[in-house]
Amino acid sequence: MKAIIQKQQLLDAIVMVQKAVMQKATLPILEGIYLEAGEQLTLVGNCFDLGIACTADADIREKGAIVIQARMFGEIIRRLPDALISIETANGKVKIECMNTVFDIKGMDAESYPLPPAYQEDTVVTLSQGTFREMIHQTLFAVSQDDNRRIMTGILLETKDGGMSLVALDGFRMAVSRMLLKQNDAMRVVIPGRNMSEILKILNNSEEEVRIVKTGSMVAFEMKNCRIVSKTIDGEFMNYHGYIPTQYETVVVLNRREFEDSLERASLISSDDRRYPVRLHVTGDQMIVFSTAEMGSSKENIGVRNEGGDLQIGFNPKFLIDALKVIPDDNIKLSFNSQIGPAIINPIEGERYLFLILPVRIKA
Amino acid sequence: MVRERTVFHVDVNSAYLSWEAVWRLQHGSTLDLRTIPSVVGGDAESRHGIVLTKSIPAKKFGIQTGEVLWQARQKCPNLVVVPPNYSLYMMCHQALLDLLHDFSPNVQVFSIDEAFIEYTGSESVQGDAVAAAYRLKDRIRNELGFTVNVGVGPNKLLAKMAGEFSKPDKVHTCWPEEIASKMWPLPVGELFGVGRATTPKLQRLNIMTIGDLANAPDEMLARHLKSYGALLKASAQGQEFSDVGPDFRPPMKGIGNSSTIPFDCDTLQEAKLVLLSLTEMVCMRLRQTGLCARLVSVSIRNSSMNGRGHQHRMDAATDNTFRIYETACRLFGEMWQGPSEKIRNFGVRVSDLSLADFMQMSILQPYDERKKRLDDTLDRIRFRYGTQSVQRAAFLASGIAPVMGGVPEENFPVMSNIV
Repeated sequence: MKAIIQKQQLLDAIVMVQKAVMQKATLPILEGIYLEAGEQLTLVGNCFDLGIACTADADIREKGAIVIQARMFGEIIRRLPDALISIETANGKVKIECMNTVFDIKGMDAESYPLPPAYQEDTVVTLSQGTFREMIHQTLFAVSQDDNRRIMTGILLETKDGGMSLVALDGFRMAVSRMLLKQNDAMRVVIPGRNMSEILKILNNSEEEVRIVKTGSMVAFEMKNCRIVSKTIDGEFMNYHGYIPTQYETVVVLNRREFEDSLERASLISSDDRRYPVRLHVTGDQMIVFSTAEMGSSKENIGVRNEGGDLQIGFNPKFLIDALKVIPDDNIKLSFNSQIGPAIINPIEGERYLFLILPVRIKA
Repeated sequence: MVRERTVFHVDVNSAYLSWEAVWRLQHGSTLDLRTIPSVVGGDAESRHGIVLTKSIPAKKFGIQTGEVLWQARQKCPNLVVVPPNYSLYMMCHQALLDLLHDFSPNVQVFSIDEAFIEYTGSESVQGDAVAAAYRLKDRIRNELGFTVNVGVGPNKLLAKMAGEFSKPDKVHTCWPEEIASKMWPLPVGELFGVGRATTPKLQRLNIMTIGDLANAPDEMLARHLKSYGALLKASAQGQEFSDVGPDFRPPMKGIGNSSTIPFDCDTLQEAKLVLLSLTEMVCMRLRQTGLCARLVSVSIRNSSMNGRGHQHRMDAATDNTFRIYETACRLFGEMWQGPSEKIRNFGVRVSDLSLADFMQMSILQPYDERKKRLDDTLDRIRFRYGTQSVQRAAFLASGIAPVMGGVPEENFPVMSNIV
């Protein structure tokens, strides 16, 4: 093969597919990037759980394919001057030329590279990249890191009742992000959180479309120059609707930013490892945020609009802060039932997101 | 003479046995267990109980701590074996501590039957250290009924060494000028920090006594023992600088309880009862210390002495007996090969501890206030009237004790880092 391509274009493609290349593999070929010159230049990284294929515009002089060790290929291209790069293969070797520089490095046989399988389209959902990106951002933090319950290490993607939701929960909190979707197939898949965080990095913040295709035990994300194939997690995701209370005793409306800052300050003295909670005391149109730990204590007042009864409740401040950080709105609704029941964070209007956080029970 | 620093080490002589003997005398027994060959050890009926403490007459028969009971009985056929009594020990431990605080505000619990006292500065109030040590020893004997050894030295290490010189009911000193005469002639294995693994290593280097170690070339020690060599040599020379803290027990990592049962267990029903019985004690101790655990481990050993263990991290930390018991049963189910495998030893352990004052609620493991109240009520009844005062119906006619397990060694890890 022989292809000529702009350095930055090639580097962008390498960085993208590298996310799916194994750092350490039993077979050397799995540590490689697959490179194919067809109509365009295609790069592929695949670690079976996740496969990424990327196309880049290039001047194709001769068609063909090869596999190159990913780390070295990336480092070489990164350090080349910002100019046209020529990639040419001969006798199993790859010649990389750029201005006055020539590299001649060993390649691997493209025939034996395990490309992500071709797939049938079972069900398809289409939405804008920017929207999908925000939805992942709003849920990813609540994915469980505990491999004991595999299903919880993923994000549920579900289309239902004219909308699409992403749901993640780790046992102590839950994040739900929703959007309206006019016409789409019914889909319900659980995608590994680790893959979702890579996908998040590839998505751009635009109106450009992403097609989500479910196929067997895989799900593919198709964008203009890039196709990502991820394994799904088998098993039944929790019936998360059941965890959400249907009515509340205490509902307060408050400024998100003010609440977040106040929690950050309160958690300064309650060191994380001893698990000292931050306490919220809703009384009338005031919420007192206070914390007591070995080092000392803190206390501050936030003005709220209280639409229910008074309440005292404790939380791991990190769980609240994580949720508040991903909310775009200025004002939010915070609802409770009891000292041991969950708190719910909602938008003041609509159902675009829902965060459920379990409190810390404070022994009387 | 007022020294720069003075530390006491107080060690109860044959603690468990003395405490049991005192308790029996106070409750009308005419026989003092301390005057006859006797031991505290597992269940007298069971096959594999071990000697936890021995009386001084029992020691004369060559009975050793840690020895299995039948072996001890072979050495001394008339041996009296009494079962351990955890709550009694806790009571005696507390009484001892209260008394020690009369001598200095600075008392460090070292184990259930050992403590350090920082006497430095107390001379102006309590007078000469050695005289005070005698007063302390005598007060414990007269007021509490058991005897202690008091070691007096310029630091914790030498105080502890002094406490070991000869027993029972003695006060010894080990001042810097006495190290060569009192400590150096002792076998090197007697030095704090030299255990079963290090003793043979040192003996191979022809280091037989503590004195040999104190005078051994640095380079040789470094070659064979790395940096630990220098530390041991400093110990042998009586150097040690740690403070007597109010409580320097390292934070507890876990609570465990295991038992060799007096029969081969080959039914699931029996195995579950044993697990429940062990879990009861684990959880009582967990709640008593105000902690919750998230990780449950179960270990078993079968009749061919093969052992193995499984563990599980629960969705949320808990101190609930039933929850931990359920998890233990599941772990046992994973490991057990079925009735063909006869189990002799069971162990239940919880770790990954957090404070029960602040319990993170979980979506997947709902909090059950009624179970909590049941646990608390049972604890209160058992604390007041003894562990056997109330039992689960499942244990009726089962031949299995409803609460198994003894002394909470892990509450008092003996190897706190004094050097």
